Amino acid sequence: MTGIHPPGNSLARRTLLKAGAGGLGLAALADLAACSKDGGGSSKSLKMLYFGEQAQATQLQNRLQPQIAKLDATIKFEISAINGTDWNDFLAKVLTQIAAGTPPDIISVATEGLQLMASKELAVPLDDYVTKDLGALKEYFADIHPALVESMMYQGHLWELPDSFNAGNMFYSTELFQRAGVVPPSADWTLDDFETAATKIAKFKGINAFGWVVRLWGSWTSFMYANNANLLEESKYDGGDWLWNKAYAGDAAAAGRKGGWKWGAPTANSDATVEALNYMIELTKKGLSPSPDVGGGGTLQGLFASNRIGMSIGGGFWAGGLTNAGMKNGSFDVTMFPKWKSQRHLFGAGGYAIFKSSKKKDLAWEVLKLLVKPETFDLVFPGNVTTPGRKSLVTAARYAKTGPKHWSVFYDTLTKHPDTAPIPAPPYYNALATALNQRTTQAISSGNAKAALDGLQSDLEKAAGAS
Amino acid sequence: MSAVTAEVREAVVKRRGHPSSHGEARFGFAMIGLSVLFVAIFTAIPIVASLGLSFFSWDVISTPEYVGLENYRRLFTDGPVLKSFGVTLGMALAIVVLQLTIGLGLAVLVNQRKLVWVRTLFRTAFYLPLLASTAAVSIFMGYLFDYKFGVVNYYLSLLGISNVPWLTSGFGAAATIVLIAVWQQIGFTFVLFVASLMSVPTDVLEAAQIDGAGAFRTLFRIKIPLISPTILFAAVVALINAMQLFDQPYIMTKGGPGSATTTVTIQMYQKGFQNLQFGYGSAIAIVLLVAILVITGLQFLAARKLVFYQ
Repeated sequence: MTGIHPPGNSLARRTLLKAGAGGLGLAALADLAACSKDGGGSSKSLKMLYFGEQAQATQLQNRLQPQIAKLDATIKFEISAINGTDWNDFLAKVLTQIAAGTPPDIISVATEGLQLMASKELAVPLDDYVTKDLGALKEYFADIHPALVESMMYQGHLWELPDSFNAGNMFYSTELFQRAGVVPPSADWTLDDFETAATKIAKFKGINAFGWVVRLWGSWTSFMYANNANLLEESKYDGGDWLWNKAYAGDAAAAGRKGGWKWGAPTANSDATVEALNYMIELTKKGLSPSPDVGGGGTLQGLFASNRIGMSIGGGFWAGGLTNAGMKNGSFDVTMFPKWKSQRHLFGAGGYAIFKSSKKKDLAWEVLKLLVKPETFDLVFPGNVTTPGRKSLVTAARYAKTGPKHWSVFYDTLTKHPDTAPIPAPPYYNALATALNQRTTQAISSGNAKAALDGLQSDLEKAAGAS
Repeated sequence: MSAVTAEVREAVVKRRGHPSSHGEARFGFAMIGLSVLFVAIFTAIPIVASLGLSFFSWDVISTPEYVGLENYRRLFTDGPVLKSFGVTLGMALAIVVLQLTIGLGLAVLVNQRKLVWVRTLFRTAFYLPLLASTAAVSIFMGYLFDYKFGVVNYYLSLLGISNVPWLTSGFGAAATIVLIAVWQQIGFTFVLFVASLMSVPTDVLEAAQIDGAGAFRTLFRIKIPLISPTILFAAVVALINAMQLFDQPYIMTKGGPGSATTTVTIQMYQKGFQNLQFGYGSAIAIVLLVAILVITGLQFLAARKLVFYQ
């Protein structure tokens, strides 16, 4: 495991500050660097970082406080929201907070940041806690798909308890499909079916058949997965038996699960990857898809909600997002991502980890168990803004108000497509995301996928080497 | 002793003995001290800190590692970072040239209006964009210039013009960002030039008129030379601002397509805050600072020949 111990010619942080030899500037660094040893909030509070709005975080904090008071009446639970356009943005801000000397006790991190956090040992492995409380957690693991748990493992250790996920499914406007005379797609539709539908929808003026954004999750990367390709070599870390043999004994879905995804050498310019990006360029050239925006996805949801886009890649979070954007139940639906060489989907999961610097790790663990309880899910994520990780929560009743009609697609992606895998988010995820964004826009504007992906390959090789 | 000398002596004695004179001095030093403190905390210390950090490899989380000049060595062999310096310089020059020429042109036109309310109206109108948040303007402009759904392309389509890739082609994105930056910043140079033109002595202008100089000749031979110190000031400030261009390209294009609008400050942000290479990010910041200092120095050198002080 990557350690944080100083290599040969490194200096301790305090030594660095002293070595600044009276430089007032370096003195300022002392404030920045004060985070290392004593973080984790004050002794009277338990601090959690959360990706979202502060108003929502405060609401959640107030709702959870009574339950946390039962665990320790003297502790004040504080949730700080970090706002960002995507997980890349969120992680950059989290790290800035750490640098500012205010690390949290608990952090909610998605797949994007898991390996970065684990490789830097910012969090603690949950192995001992899980083993100790396995009896109490039996119903939790029975309800959570092992693919989600495996995505939270790194080098054989479990770093987070997952509570949510989003797989890259295909959302479509039922109204535009109807107007174009396109039959709603079945779960096993193909890429040809997709293009046929897109061509019919694109005939309407001002309408784009398919919209997408440039990012790692649910972008052209979904096409890449369906084309049996990836940006990095895939393998898995050894280990994890301590969990699989006990928590998932006899579960067929856990067969072959190991100690987490191991992202190897870059394969960004492999033939199949180039083919996938070329396909997107062709869609743009044929007028079936506009040039994509970078990151976020709010604009895309807005365009979809105003019926200006026929299809787009979305996960369970789109149900709430589209409803919040004004779409009526029934005006959109979801299906599996179309089959190309395979119908392999990608997903990203969310969960909770305990920060290494926390002085209240045991209490934080109790809060983690509270956060993954079924009754807490809707407190944390009101209004279908993500897909529950617990299968028992993915029900008709949940989607009765918002839709989509085929809500079962969300969890079926995990159960019916066992090759579904997490997005490739290695410890150098941030550098990967930046390079991916840049090279994708380069490919779309130049029309040359090969050159752009050769560049991406080189960027990733450098990033992997530097990490 | 003359009456005048006596008067002066009386005044000096009066002043020395004034109980408020020491307090006034203290107040003055306090005011200067506040400014010095502000500059020290928010400018000088961060610069020194960045300089120190640029000799280290630090990812915020692990222990900093002293690497000497390695970050600088890497910078000068890092193609994308070097390219970002070229991109920044190109965009900055375009912004400064447009900002100065358009700003001056508008100022001359407005200055010719005799009605005060007309001048006030134009001054307010051109200055207004400067007060808007650059982030908000960038988001708004991103929507306006969207290739498929943007209002600009919509109106062009009504004229039979096919969609323009404002933000999705390399040149288009750079040009659009330059135009937006100029639109937002022009109020600053415009107001400076209007004020400066108004301070040109009327007797000089009248003399030129009597000598038969036309409007064109008066502008280039009288007005522009007389306001050349203001032009130098505007050029220096505009270039320093433009070399730090970040908000517009980061929000509108994320530095793309490809790296067509990736400025040095975007590279610095990406390396430092996204890739957690704070040492390398600091090295980029220091080189940018030196580049700005050099360019500003060149501007002052050129000013020796081009700027006229009365």
